[in-house]
Amino acid sequence: MITRTTNQMAVLDAQRHLTVSKARVSEAQERASTLDRISKPSDDPTGTAEALRVKADQAANVQWSRNAGDANAWLSTADSALSAADDVLKRVRDLTVQGANTGAQSQASLDAIATEIDGLRSDLLTRANATYAGRSVFAGTSDAGVAFRADASFTGTPGSAVTRQVGSETSVRVDADGAAAFGTGDDSVFSLLDRITTDLRAGVDVGPRLTEVDARLTSLRGVQSDIGARQSQILRAEDTLLDTKTTLEAHRAGIMDIDLGQAVLDLQMQNTSYQAALAVTAKVLQPSLMDFLR
Amino acid sequence: MGSTFGGLNTAYRGLTAARTGLDVVGQNIANVNTDGYTRQRVTQSSVEAAARVGLFSTGVQPGQGASVDGIARIGDRFADAQVRGAAGAAGYQGVRASVTAALESSLNEPSTTGLATQLTKFWSAWQDVSNNPSAAAPAAVLLGQAQTIAGTLASGYKAVDDQWTAQRQQLDGLASQLNSAATQVADLNVRIRTAQQQGVSTNELVDARSVLTEKIATLAGGTVRDNADGTLDVVVGGNALVSGDSARQVRVTGDYTLSTATAGVSLEWTHRPGDAVSLDGGSIAGSLSVLAPAEPGGAGGVLAEAAASYDALATQLATQVNAVHATGTTADGTTGHAFFAFTAGVPAARGLTVVPTGAATIASGNGTGGALDGSVARAVGQIGLSTGSPDRAWGAIVSTVGAVAQTESDRSTLTDLSATSAKNRQLSTAGVSLDEENVNLLTYQHAYQGAARVMTAIDEMLDTLINGMGRVGR
Repeated sequence: MITRTTNQMAVLDAQRHLTVSKARVSEAQERASTLDRISKPSDDPTGTAEALRVKADQAANVQWSRNAGDANAWLSTADSALSAADDVLKRVRDLTVQGANTGAQSQASLDAIATEIDGLRSDLLTRANATYAGRSVFAGTSDAGVAFRADASFTGTPGSAVTRQVGSETSVRVDADGAAAFGTGDDSVFSLLDRITTDLRAGVDVGPRLTEVDARLTSLRGVQSDIGARQSQILRAEDTLLDTKTTLEAHRAGIMDIDLGQAVLDLQMQNTSYQAALAVTAKVLQPSLMDFLR
Repeated sequence: MGSTFGGLNTAYRGLTAARTGLDVVGQNIANVNTDGYTRQRVTQSSVEAAARVGLFSTGVQPGQGASVDGIARIGDRFADAQVRGAAGAAGYQGVRASVTAALESSLNEPSTTGLATQLTKFWSAWQDVSNNPSAAAPAAVLLGQAQTIAGTLASGYKAVDDQWTAQRQQLDGLASQLNSAATQVADLNVRIRTAQQQGVSTNELVDARSVLTEKIATLAGGTVRDNADGTLDVVVGGNALVSGDSARQVRVTGDYTLSTATAGVSLEWTHRPGDAVSLDGGSIAGSLSVLAPAEPGGAGGVLAEAAASYDALATQLATQVNAVHATGTTADGTTGHAFFAFTAGVPAARGLTVVPTGAATIASGNGTGGALDGSVARAVGQIGLSTGSPDRAWGAIVSTVGAVAQTESDRSTLTDLSATSAKNRQLSTAGVSLDEENVNLLTYQHAYQGAARVMTAIDEMLDTLINGMGRVGR
């Protein structure tokens, strides 16, 4: 059957083809300029839901990375404070050993040792009150501002911990246990130093105090090694987060992004077919029998 | 034998037929771009010889020329019916596709400013508060983010609400268009009937009526029944919208805002209030379907369903955050505080408010872990990653709306295609082809020239007979 083709049909067909072609060109243009495979949910409904999920994961990942950075800073602060405290305590031990030689020294020199230990005590107090971003790293969740007051009383809440979330299920404690590191009350390193100076000034033999100093050094180092272990945990978590970041970005790009080459090729193709449609329309609509009759 | 001047009359009839043919060609060419015009043709027949009367044979007689019987309208009523059917389907899907497309774009996803991003920022803000409880800055960021989410939910809901109202107002316009088209069809029915009785050509009137019935089909679907007297009936939903010379009217009932139109929106006959018109297609049916109220299974109208999803999301967010927040302790040591609250009397999505006003009123600690404990804030921050999180719910809403928009857009493309192809079939029969008209122009021109030549020949013959007689030998 030969379909009768009328002028209106030709015009309407041409119009429709041009409209469709133009719409395709504009769509290809948008894709090529934004490089988004999904510009609205209906482009790929399941892909959109997946993309939103991946983006939520990405945002969580970014937050965890920030938390891990913060945790690292807390732990580094605590670590360096403990290292300094360790040095101070070692010096105290040396001085105590020196002070224990009672036979060879005058009371004046013992007093001098006691004065130096007093100086070291305040130095140690400064270390024990080390802060990061305005918060004492040894005071836990306390808001007292310092971990140890001048009278050596500890402000922290027993059993409380400052933690940072570094993964969906992983949280790491970032504060150092001030009570374990420096002791509390009579047991504290500050009271010990006070006792040593009192002994020295009274001329009592400080030799027996050495074991107490050693015990404090041991617990200090115990806390420091605990900090080190947690710091390595944070570093591992940071590595994982970095890996996950790459994976998630690759996943997101796979869902949402379009290949540049593909996009440009599509655009070029649609442009060509639009121009072809224009040329064909110009050719088809022009002639009629009137052009050929006298 | 026939009359001496009989030949002249035959030639004259030929001239008349050719001239009428030329006039019709002229009308066709003039209307080549007129919407709804159906091409016309002269129907002519040959006139037989005069009947023999009398006893004796008068010899063989030729016919007496051509007679113009009428001007036929070359339409195809089956093609017309197909066009109307396809137009009804296309009208229905067109409205649904444009409404779902607008709804989809109002979701503003995927983007860097949409609700999904706002939610992730909200959860991050909780973690920052957990890292620094009692600090003013993270608390201010968190509260600001919470306000932003409440604002985004409210504006998302409002966009749906506005779209609903706009669609509802548009429906009034569509109903009045339907009424006016029905009245015009009834009016044309009368004129066509009268013209037909008077023997006048009704072609142009039928064309106009055809355009109107197509418009009715686009608006409300329906079928067309031809009557013997030239009129036609338009039947919509089993009842006659136009019946001969009378047209019935319809009107839309239902309120103009989503929250007040709980009884739904429907189209009813003006003369029978309360009786809904059941439509089988058309943009009015499309509008009614998107304006339908929400249903428990999610099978209601897309707009009401979207609004209900916004409400459900706001409620879910508030419930989940409040459940954890209530376990926390504020600066004054008390527990059981809500983070989100709802304004009474407005939909949940529009009435979401943030209760805390600063770091002191955010319950970030668990009460036993020291003043700067942030474990409850951290637990709230983890809600976003749980499988039943508001983020997932929002993702489900977005992908559901996206899937509906995709389906409706595909269906609309298909119905548009079938409407175009039906229109093409109709135009293939009824449209004016300039080439064809040019050929006809030539044909009638030559026929006219030929008839004129015959007339000249007879004239010369008569001249010979009348002026040349009796002059033999002169």
